[in-house]
Amino acid sequence: MSTTTQAEVVPMAGEAASSGRAARRQALGSWMLLAPGVIWMTLCLVLPMLMMIYVSFWTQHTFSIDSTLTLDSWEAFFSTPTYLDSLLTTVRLWFITLALILAIGYPVAVFIGLFVRNKTLQTSLLVLCVVPFWTSFLIRVVAWRPMLGTEGAVNIILLKLGLIQQPIEALLFTQYSVVIGMVQIYVVFMVGPVAFMVSRIDRSLIEAARDLGASTARIFFTIILPLSLPGIVVGSIFVSVMVLGEFATPSALSGGKVNLLGNIIVTQVGSLKWAFASVCGVILTVLMAVTVVALLRIVNLRREI
Amino acid sequence: MLEIASVTKRYGGQAALDGISLSVGEGAYLSLLGPSGSGKSTLLRVLAGYETPDAGQVTLDGRNLNAVPAHERGIGFVSQGFALFPHLSVFDNVAFGLRYHAHKPVRDSAETRRRVMETLEMVGLADYVQREIQQLSGGQKQRVALARTLVVRPRLCLLDEPLGALDANLRQRMTVELRRIHAALGITFFHVTGNEMEALAMGDRVVVLDQGRILQVDAPDTVYNRPSSIAVARFLNRYNLFSGRADGQGGIATAAGTVAAPRLCEQRQHAENVDFCIRIDKIRVQPEGEALAEDEAALMATYIASEFSGAIITHLFRLADERVVEVENHLSHRRPTEYDAGRRYSLVWPRDEGLVFPAQAVTREATARAAA
Repeated sequence: MSTTTQAEVVPMAGEAASSGRAARRQALGSWMLLAPGVIWMTLCLVLPMLMMIYVSFWTQHTFSIDSTLTLDSWEAFFSTPTYLDSLLTTVRLWFITLALILAIGYPVAVFIGLFVRNKTLQTSLLVLCVVPFWTSFLIRVVAWRPMLGTEGAVNIILLKLGLIQQPIEALLFTQYSVVIGMVQIYVVFMVGPVAFMVSRIDRSLIEAARDLGASTARIFFTIILPLSLPGIVVGSIFVSVMVLGEFATPSALSGGKVNLLGNIIVTQVGSLKWAFASVCGVILTVLMAVTVVALLRIVNLRREI
Repeated sequence: MLEIASVTKRYGGQAALDGISLSVGEGAYLSLLGPSGSGKSTLLRVLAGYETPDAGQVTLDGRNLNAVPAHERGIGFVSQGFALFPHLSVFDNVAFGLRYHAHKPVRDSAETRRRVMETLEMVGLADYVQREIQQLSGGQKQRVALARTLVVRPRLCLLDEPLGALDANLRQRMTVELRRIHAALGITFFHVTGNEMEALAMGDRVVVLDQGRILQVDAPDTVYNRPSSIAVARFLNRYNLFSGRADGQGGIATAAGTVAAPRLCEQRQHAENVDFCIRIDKIRVQPEGEALAEDEAALMATYIASEFSGAIITHLFRLADERVVEVENHLSHRRPTEYDAGRRYSLVWPRDEGLVFPAQAVTREATARAAA
């Protein structure tokens, strides 16, 4: 670090003062361009986060809170099985959802990005994936109830086809329905980035690989998969951040049986337990941050853009 | 070794290849010259196996390739944009064909390493093994692409405009390199280019392609000195072209005046439409009114300007019919003469150096229609 600074400074010293002034003005210019973003992020992200960490150490009374610092809330979180269970459930459902989204979204994205050659058709298909977003979040979630219920569409179809003898009751108001709901809502966030990366793969690469004798499976694993990895990483970041912060889907589709960390936060805030809600918030934020950092270590996104 | 028999390929009714037949010998260096849209890339893609011909067949060593997929043909393809795998190092790019061949992969990593290094040495990139593709210059990428194809020792190596993406300086060097690599390996090279000078410089034989048909297959000097048709002469960019009518007395009447035809063509019957061309470096300029030798042909023209390009100077003259002709002088032969702009000179050439072709079918039909 020090050597590079020196290397930059030495020739500067030898130059005319005017060029130094020009450089300073340019530096000032870039700072001014940065300022709005920095201020916005500080006010809306950094300060609230610091506040959240601070509040998590406050002392919680039944209906009030005071700023005496204590570890009570943290201890309560880690000593109550309900909360630890909820943390585990959050992580487990997140992994399952992410895996299903990859399994469903990736092939779709490869199909759109690689096999659909017509650019217009490609764009139309991607738009089709986004169509569900034209309705409100709540409607999309609640619409699963008539689908998955004991007398819901899925069960009726399966019964009529003779595949099952009696309705599957586990479909609604269980973990499965929560996972199904979240997969349906968030899968498009995987399809988009992956389809984008895959469509950027030069077709001549695939021809070249084929010409060199590689089988289709080999081409997929050695060429297409690595080149679409940045898309998978970006998609996973989107999906993870959203799934980890979920509270609406579980509360609408699990009948209150599945409590993710997000649901705990909602409940705690509702009963004015700010300190405890902050503990959950900090844990959730750390979990997300670790996930994002870990995912970003897989690929160098800066090189891809 | 490679036989192409009446290969035809259509795209929506338009024939990209129209009955191409060609025979390529072992270890040949063939250059395929054609303007864009002539079907040269299509022919390459048919040979490589990326496209199936609508009719005709391709055989390699007596084996019909029509039903053989690209990767089982033993034909290497170096595409125009190089198509290097951007996420793999130079080594891994070159090793790809060895490691990952579906049927006969090289599993021994020492063997892979030896063959990759040997090929990289041959293309002069041995010091760049661990480089990323992004860190290479255009010329280096070209060599990696070539090495990646050659490392598996194909029977035939197809090069799609291999020098197109390189700057002039590099192109010169790669020309030499390509010839050297070809000589070292003895693999048959099939080099596609839109540049006439490159085609002449590279090939043992030059194939001239236009509108999906082969116009001429000959040694470079034959193509250059004796183009088989006016179309070939046009692609060579080295001929002044005229169309005219044989007058039955050893002359050809063109819009710019009558010129003496080569003596071999004198027997051409009267009033036959012909195309006529004369190479730009065969023409001599002399002041108006000076006598001609008996075996010379001449046209009157007005001097416009000259273009100087190192060892060569090109003079532009305007003919009586307003068309511009070029005259090229090599400065090593004689000092450039100064001409006066706007003055009339006579352009003189040995009459036997002129080339006469029956007018192209299109022109003749058009004339027939006009007459009727």
